[in-house]
Amino acid sequence: MSKLQANISGIIKSSVIDGPGNRMVIFFQECNLNCMYCHNSHTIGLCNLCGTCVDTCPTNSLKIDSENKRIIHNENTCTRCDECIKVCPENSSPFYKQMSVEDIICEILEVKDFISGITVSGGEVMLHAPFLSLLFQEIKSHPDLKHLSILIDSNGNINQEKWDSLLPLIDGVMLDIKAYSAKTHKQITGYSNEKILKSIEYLNDKNKLKELRFVLTPDYNNDESELREIAKLMKSVSPNVGKTLIKMRNHGIRKEFSFLREASNEEMNFAKDIFGQADIDILVI
Amino acid sequence: MEEIKNRVLQVLTDGNLDYRQKKHHLAYIAESTQDYPDISKEATEALNEKIICDLFEGNAPYRPRYVLPDYAYALKNGVNYLELEPPTNFDEAINFLSILYVQVPSITGYSVYLGNIDTLLLDYVGDLSEDEIYKKMKLFWRFIDRTLPDAFVHINIGPEDNVIARVILRIERELKQVVPNLTLKYDPEITSDELLLEASKTVFEVAKPHIANHKMTAADFKGDYGVVSCYNSLPVGGGSHTLIRLNLKKITDLHSGDAESFISGTLKKYCKMTLDVIEARSKYLVESVKYYDTDFLAKEGIISLDNFSAMFGFYGLAECVNQLMKRSGKELIYGKDEEANQLAHLILEEMKKILDAREVPYCKGNNGKAFFHAQSGIDIDIEETAGARIPIGIEPDIYSHINTVAPHHHLFNGGISDIFHFDETVKRNPAAILDIIKGAFRKGMRMFTFNLSNGEFIRITGYLVRRSDLKEFREEGSRYGSALFAANSMDNANVDNRVSKRVISNEQVAGKY
Repeated sequence: MSKLQANISGIIKSSVIDGPGNRMVIFFQECNLNCMYCHNSHTIGLCNLCGTCVDTCPTNSLKIDSENKRIIHNENTCTRCDECIKVCPENSSPFYKQMSVEDIICEILEVKDFISGITVSGGEVMLHAPFLSLLFQEIKSHPDLKHLSILIDSNGNINQEKWDSLLPLIDGVMLDIKAYSAKTHKQITGYSNEKILKSIEYLNDKNKLKELRFVLTPDYNNDESELREIAKLMKSVSPNVGKTLIKMRNHGIRKEFSFLREASNEEMNFAKDIFGQADIDILVI
Repeated sequence: MEEIKNRVLQVLTDGNLDYRQKKHHLAYIAESTQDYPDISKEATEALNEKIICDLFEGNAPYRPRYVLPDYAYALKNGVNYLELEPPTNFDEAINFLSILYVQVPSITGYSVYLGNIDTLLLDYVGDLSEDEIYKKMKLFWRFIDRTLPDAFVHINIGPEDNVIARVILRIERELKQVVPNLTLKYDPEITSDELLLEASKTVFEVAKPHIANHKMTAADFKGDYGVVSCYNSLPVGGGSHTLIRLNLKKITDLHSGDAESFISGTLKKYCKMTLDVIEARSKYLVESVKYYDTDFLAKEGIISLDNFSAMFGFYGLAECVNQLMKRSGKELIYGKDEEANQLAHLILEEMKKILDAREVPYCKGNNGKAFFHAQSGIDIDIEETAGARIPIGIEPDIYSHINTVAPHHHLFNGGISDIFHFDETVKRNPAAILDIIKGAFRKGMRMFTFNLSNGEFIRITGYLVRRSDLKEFREEGSRYGSALFAANSMDNANVDNRVSKRVISNEQVAGKY
């Protein structure tokens, strides 16, 4: 098997919220957006061994292993106070691990009898397209795993050709649209949405868009014209694509973005009505 | 005599009991005037010390603990004793069963088994529409709850997907009654995913049905089986004379050596003693009371002594294992550490061997042997965890939980239960539950029971109560006999925190007077 490795920030062996059925979810480290309301901001960056977390840890549970260029984490003394994550200047964490395709296959085999499939998520998982390709091929050729469905949870901010090798192996992609106007998108995520809009169109054409989600962020993407554009976009994809309107929750977001506020019931209803007027069947959560 | 008079007076004047409940308790007091069936002095002491527990079945068994009438046979042949002709249509069939149910004895005074109801009624559907069936079944369901107000009253559906099973699940969600308790027999090769999905959605509302691994359970029986009372699987047309349970925690307290000597000595000794009690009680019922010669159910072939056996139960496995581990200098815990889990399996396998080596009279229903049952607790169990369960509060993640308990489920032909909890979010994705149930059965689980956190229905191990009934009972008594046990269980076992112990039968109430 390939020596290719990926940085894995976590694996959840039973999730009921990452696609249909009971699923194992594999979270990859590193993201190419920087959303203000990111609830897992420690999965955005990569560790550069600066040592800030090592100096901060109140239980001295972290150590730099310069030879192998990694942080050693002592699970026995760590109290999971997460101070290390809060102080990390790179939006990273000392907890992610390098794993091979084989390592991940072993983890899936452990729970294969209990799941409908796997979901890969992030960070931005499409930054690891070559690794995913190997992983998915391995799953699809494994006699005990080939029945599992494979879903990708992506931000869509990726060149179109990156999708091509993966689409034949997967069941679908769940994707967010953070804003329709490029300007608003840049405000919320730090980046333009050009590639994302193309990904949506492309995946829809290929019949691989499973779900399209919109996170309502008051004062940013909740004015009427923005909502109507989002509604238009949602209307442009197949009716079979699940659509979800998500209320941004400010619990667990970074301190510097604590000014973000959650939508009121009126604001949620206003958005809901606009989708309703466009005749879009949308799940609100 | 003075003591009896006082106990009777206490029942007569207890404002929390209704008329029928009083009669039940008075009968228990009357029964207690008889000598206990003939057992050794040592066994008597073990019973007094609650090392062996007869679940307050009473001194002089005059009816079997669990009776599973062959309702299909009764419907086909009619019942002379009740002057009932075989029914010819749906209304007559429901009327027939309603009359028969009230006549079926059990340890609680209410029938613990109402049949595999969808299969029984399908023959009578004729050209009735689903809506007509729904209306009739809804009235039937109300009759059952109001006439047999005891949560141990149990009905079965499945494994085939059919209109009656679906209508029942719909009615369950609408009526939200405690009674009847409900089991869906599930076989992935027979039962549709849609029916299992409907059942799961019903669990979200009313914490039932339980899901039984049909293929695995059916393989343990010569004929049909039913799931009755609290997770007891027994032969249809038969049942169990008695259920006697061994307190594994208490016998570990009495034992002074290591795990090896426990298994070869203490465990063996008390298993034998428990079987002696089972034998004495079974003989009393059959030979002295001559129940099976005199009751109309037996005389008319609706039950047969040949389909009966008796049940050997136990509880407190977790405490037993943890203590033996501690004595060997290891802080290893059942449910968490592999070595402790292995010891648990070893103890259970040894018990099963002891059971299988002992011929018990009048147990033809299980080839002359007692059924092995992981008993799911009653309200007086304070220090002991139900059956072979992992103690409340220290359950590991769901996969580890299943992987810990599934390897021993095959031993329990008399039934076993483990309860799993799911967060409310699963309501949005019930297919996830299907995955886990199917996985659990692939791993060898016999029965799968789950609850949602914070539901109105609380499962006190095997049976259900409503939160509101519990509150009401504490204030002014309840129509349901089982609410008292639940109240006691809540007091004794932190059931509020999760779900804990099952409470078993009305004799416990009577035992208080």
